[in-house]
Amino acid sequence: MNGAQHILDAFHRHNIGTVFGYPGGCIMPLYDALVDDVGVEHVLCRHEQACALAADGYARASGKLGVCIATSGPGATNLITGVANAHRDSIPMLVITGQVASGMIGTDAFQETDVLGMTLGIVKHSYLVDDASELPAIMEEAMTLAESGRPGPVWIDIPKDILLTEVAAPAPAEAQPEESRTPDISEALAMLREAKRPLLYSGGGVSLANAEDSFRAFAETSVLPGVVTLKGIGNAGKHNPNNLGMLGMHGSRAANKAVDECDLLFVVGARLDDRATGKLDGFAPNARTVHIDADAAEINKLRAADIALRGDLNDILAAFTRELEAQPLAIDDWRKQCRTWRTTGGFQAADNEEPLAPITGPAFIRQLSRITANDTVIACDVGQHQMWVAQHYQFDHPRHHLTSGGLGTMGYGLPAAIGAQFAKPDSTVINVTGDGSFMMNAQELATIRRYNLPLKLIILDNQCLGMVRQQQELFYNNRESHINLDDNPDFVAMARAFDIPSLHIERTDQIRRGIETILAFNGPMLLHVAISREENVWPIVKPGASNKEMIDEPKRTSTANKEHVA
Amino acid sequence: MNRPSEASMPRYTINCRMTHEAAALERLCQVVRIRGFRVARMAVEGAGEHLDIALTLEGSRPIAMLQSQLEKLHTVANVAVQETISDLARNSA
Repeated sequence: MNGAQHILDAFHRHNIGTVFGYPGGCIMPLYDALVDDVGVEHVLCRHEQACALAADGYARASGKLGVCIATSGPGATNLITGVANAHRDSIPMLVITGQVASGMIGTDAFQETDVLGMTLGIVKHSYLVDDASELPAIMEEAMTLAESGRPGPVWIDIPKDILLTEVAAPAPAEAQPEESRTPDISEALAMLREAKRPLLYSGGGVSLANAEDSFRAFAETSVLPGVVTLKGIGNAGKHNPNNLGMLGMHGSRAANKAVDECDLLFVVGARLDDRATGKLDGFAPNARTVHIDADAAEINKLRAADIALRGDLNDILAAFTRELEAQPLAIDDWRKQCRTWRTTGGFQAADNEEPLAPITGPAFIRQLSRITANDTVIACDVGQHQMWVAQHYQFDHPRHHLTSGGLGTMGYGLPAAIGAQFAKPDSTVINVTGDGSFMMNAQELATIRRYNLPLKLIILDNQCLGMVRQQQELFYNNRESHINLDDNPDFVAMARAFDIPSLHIERTDQIRRGIETILAFNGPMLLHVAISREENVWPIVKPGASNKEMIDEPKRTSTANKEHVA
Repeated sequence: MNRPSEASMPRYTINCRMTHEAAALERLCQVVRIRGFRVARMAVEGAGEHLDIALTLEGSRPIAMLQSQLEKLHTVANVAVQETISDLARNSA
């Protein structure tokens, strides 16, 4: 078999059944091999960026390796945003690109770019294959690397001649027993027992480690009050009364208050990033820190840990759970206090009871959350709608919430939803997007139509770049600069041009009917929701400020927020 | 951009062994740069399949953070922070 056929053979051996790609000159040998291979489903997106983002969505929704393929030059450079997105959120991904023939590298050949050089900072590892005999070993290593430890994208750049060169059949892989040693938890357990106001702080590392069940068992046994990062949403499940929700820039008052008051931060699979912590000096000022993570480089990176436990989150959390089952924590007063904060300082959004009133983003998302099934996957884009989903949609599992956390990639949601629908063909997958984000990968409507994916698309259209407008209003003296999108196309007509039925709503009394209509439709459908241009995401912490300095909307601050302790 | 003056920045020597493969040095230098350090001196020697690299670095961030980031690189076998040259020692030299 040649190099191209070997790649497909490796996919079979690793149970990779779906890949996302776009053909071109230097990758043509691989596409030629795909003609004879019926075991790998190749999904043709309409832009390489969408291939990478779809592979990302597939990986997040399924927990499996996402694979994307492109040709050299512009094919590879178009992948970069999607791969950087996966890198920032530690998503397991295999990227395969064709490269000009070995002898042409460095001659400025047609569609030649230094892919290896330009992607060093956005991959977990990368290879330029310079010897066909090394391809089998590189494929094996790359797939293992992408999924092991802290996952991430691994990129293999393969010259065209190597794709055509005969390679030896790979030797059967020898299973390497994984070294697993649970660190000693005794000191951390003692610190947890000493604490009067301990707080569980969890992030995306929980699902990256496939530790959702272990985390849920620990949270329920410890009965610790908890906060979550954007990527940790869903960790605690939707019915945990001790979950105070998301913390940080657009977090709940309850979550940020609890962080401010706690005397121990019990951090699980989170990297204490700036959007969550705000100004570090003012973050959890009275707390000691226990930090549990798979990645040693995250320990002490931004905040010194009093105790660090590095290892498999499943093992570590299970060890704590066993201890706490035998002897529960005595933190009833603190727990009651946090529950009070949850009641008075949770995300507040009034359901507008005036039927003819304009639709607000939060009210729409709360309705969506009530109507959809528990296993619905929501793929967001980036902006105000992303935060409204994070605040107001009740997720039961972190893999149901696909969001671009680290990179903040506008245009993520639609291709990620496509990937998720391939991963979960029997689940309802909804892309909740804004009018700005939607236009960044709108060409993928053609992919939805081609594969007849039953995706549901919801555009919250405020005819502007809402999050930028909001920050210009609040922090730049209301000097609006290049955020106006009131010349958007007619999205309903646009969807119909792709043979996707669509519906427009704009009044509060149309919300339920609109959502129920698209959910009931047997196939893809778009719901265009006109919302107010002036709506902001509340609360908000000014970038660089302390979370204590949260700002609520002055005129519509709810009674509950007014009553919330200062 | 405000940058601490060269004289005030701590200086470190790091010895690193990594697999000799495409873009190995670029990968190392990219991490050094993005994590807030500047290369003041660099010596590289091939040792079979490995490269032995001695780096003198300047930077105001904790060197342990850079060390842990370098150790994450798949092709890095080991990283040793050999010495820290204090401002005082440099000034008196």
